[in-house]
Amino acid sequence: MPRTSRFEGRLLIAPLTVFLIALLGFPLVLDIIYSISRVGFENIRAPEPIGFSNYAKAIADPEFWAAAWFSLRFGLIVSVIQVVAGLGLAVFLAPLFAKRPWLIALLMLPMMVAPALVGLMYRLILHEFVGAVPYYLLEWYGDFPAFLGRDWAFTTLVVVETLQWTPFALLILHSSYAAISPDVREAAALDGARGRRLFFNIDLPLMMPAIGITFFIRFIDSFRVFDNLYTLVGPGAGGSTTSMSIYIYQAFFKVGDIGLAVAASMLLLVASFVVLWLINGLTARKAPL
Amino acid sequence: MTRLKTLLTSAALFAALGVTGAMAEVTVLGWPGGPEEAGLRKAADAYNATAADADKVKLIFFNRDGFFDKLAADLAAGSTDFDVNLLATYALGRYAPFMDPITLPDASKATFPEKVLATMQYDGKQYGIPTDLSLHFMYYRTDLIEKLLSDADWKAKYGEISEKYLGKKLEPKDPDAWTWEDWMATALFFTKSINSDSPTRYGTVLQMKNLLFNMMVWHSVARAQGGDWMNDKGEIVVDSPAYRTALEIYKKLYDAGTSPKDSTTYEFAESNAAFGAGQVATMVQWNAAFGDLDNKEKTPAVAGKIGTVAPPTGPAGRFTHIHGLGLGINKASKNKEGAVRFLNWLGTPDAMEIYAKAGGSPALSDAVVAKVSAERPDLVKLGQFAGAYGFVMHGGTAAKALQVYELQAKEFTAYWAGDKSLDEALAATKAGMADLLKP
Repeated sequence: MPRTSRFEGRLLIAPLTVFLIALLGFPLVLDIIYSISRVGFENIRAPEPIGFSNYAKAIADPEFWAAAWFSLRFGLIVSVIQVVAGLGLAVFLAPLFAKRPWLIALLMLPMMVAPALVGLMYRLILHEFVGAVPYYLLEWYGDFPAFLGRDWAFTTLVVVETLQWTPFALLILHSSYAAISPDVREAAALDGARGRRLFFNIDLPLMMPAIGITFFIRFIDSFRVFDNLYTLVGPGAGGSTTSMSIYIYQAFFKVGDIGLAVAASMLLLVASFVVLWLINGLTARKAPL
Repeated sequence: MTRLKTLLTSAALFAALGVTGAMAEVTVLGWPGGPEEAGLRKAADAYNATAADADKVKLIFFNRDGFFDKLAADLAAGSTDFDVNLLATYALGRYAPFMDPITLPDASKATFPEKVLATMQYDGKQYGIPTDLSLHFMYYRTDLIEKLLSDADWKAKYGEISEKYLGKKLEPKDPDAWTWEDWMATALFFTKSINSDSPTRYGTVLQMKNLLFNMMVWHSVARAQGGDWMNDKGEIVVDSPAYRTALEIYKKLYDAGTSPKDSTTYEFAESNAAFGAGQVATMVQWNAAFGDLDNKEKTPAVAGKIGTVAPPTGPAGRFTHIHGLGLGINKASKNKEGAVRFLNWLGTPDAMEIYAKAGGSPALSDAVVAKVSAERPDLVKLGQFAGAYGFVMHGGTAAKALQVYELQAKEFTAYWAGDKSLDEALAATKAGMADLLKP
């Protein structure tokens, strides 16, 4: 490469490099320093290096693992439900969307609401004395479950997350379904493929990359759940609804153990990178031969 | 060029004047967004009307969210942006190293009861003037209790229920004479699933969310049984029989269905909603709830039918948790003299009268509260109860007191929800507290 071109290339990429160093590099370095220090709000400007004991403390803490398991379980369950529901809606409502595309905009509305507000909204809706759901259940059946209590909280959270974010899956999967060429379906139909066979042998394989991407995005989003969970039930009785984000938040702001909180977030960063790399590898489109 | 020089010189002069002016002021960091802010604004206006220029007060406010953490970070960093700052009883130990103790003026000793002044003391030193106080009332429905005390059928049923659930036949009493057992019996009696004649669905509403403030509410029960965080030797004693009894009281009531099923997610607002709906007969709640609950527009179902007394008596006596908000002096302040003069004035009966009439909730001595009782009748009980029944747990002002509350909230809610046994919850609490409160 000529010298001038190389210089121009570096010059052009410099702003992006500076941007990345400032916005990602600096916090990362700071996080690494905090994670190997004894640091609270009182000495936040003068952390005291203590080696890797914050990492050891996080790894030895059963609540760290309980929070990780909660997030993983929640992320997997809601992602699967959202993808399946989004796929079903995209396929069954496709003829309707073709005639009335404005319906898609209507179905997207839940995504427009801030998750924290969604949490507050359901906290009201499900409250025994001001909420509509317990009121009507009591009127009709004489009883209702404790939606936010220990036994139901997880299910309620899954339903709330699903209701808000299934439209996202629907949007992507509808686009993917609509992008399948009619010629392909026509050719398959000429070969005798109909109904379920057409869907499972033609449509579904062609939609797999989109399904994978949708699952990938929804899993990331659900794994780091915080806002709606925090406003709806908080960490839960005995920490029963503590996600990884809430664990880190509590260690940082409530307990004031910034070193532990940052170490836990660094562990999460590494774990996330590995998991996402694996998912990405599984869902990536294979290069054409 | 000459014009430019003149411009720069003028700008420098203005800047210098500005800096001097700012240094001469007393900057006060207050508690934002509530009646405390309204009270402080009025008080500051009154003070500034007569104060010398160098002593005039300027108010600044953070957002409430994360207030105490931001304040801790600022104090620790030696910020000189404020001379006087907010203090809270449960965070005193955290801030004390970065604040100057004050010497109370004689006037403040006449303004506040001694127990109220103690909410701003740490390690034997006074760190602030107590501006607002929070404590607990036992709220009850006067219409229901009146009937209970007069109706023979209800009395008989009350005796049956207390015998069945508590193992002894009790008779209804006036709420001001309740023991915690009487309250339990009343809560059981007014629970529809236990007594089909009950006009309310629940006998009480327990705040059992995993939240530190809910522990403060429950502590009024624990202290009445004789419970404390530490003994005089500094040993953690939360596994005492008294603490166990208090935890079991909540568990027993919750398991019996006297409180809503979702109580493990309830805090201040949810409990008020339950009581305000007219479906709850009694509750232990913060004094701050009274105004809204007794408002006919906000809660028509119960307004005008609410009685408040101090929490019931236990084997160790009658107690209410108290904690205060107050104002003290930043150690890094550049205008400590001005700050002292403002705090000395703030502790006078006149200043507190202005503060109380503008919405603040100071707990005042009888002589001072008499001046505001017509406009703020709620402050009468506040001062009386604080003086007679107020307590702070031994260790409740330690540097890590907030973390202790958080720890107890997590462990005790686990027990109440059935996730942990009482022994497991208490053992984990004791171990955690020993770590947090070690000298």
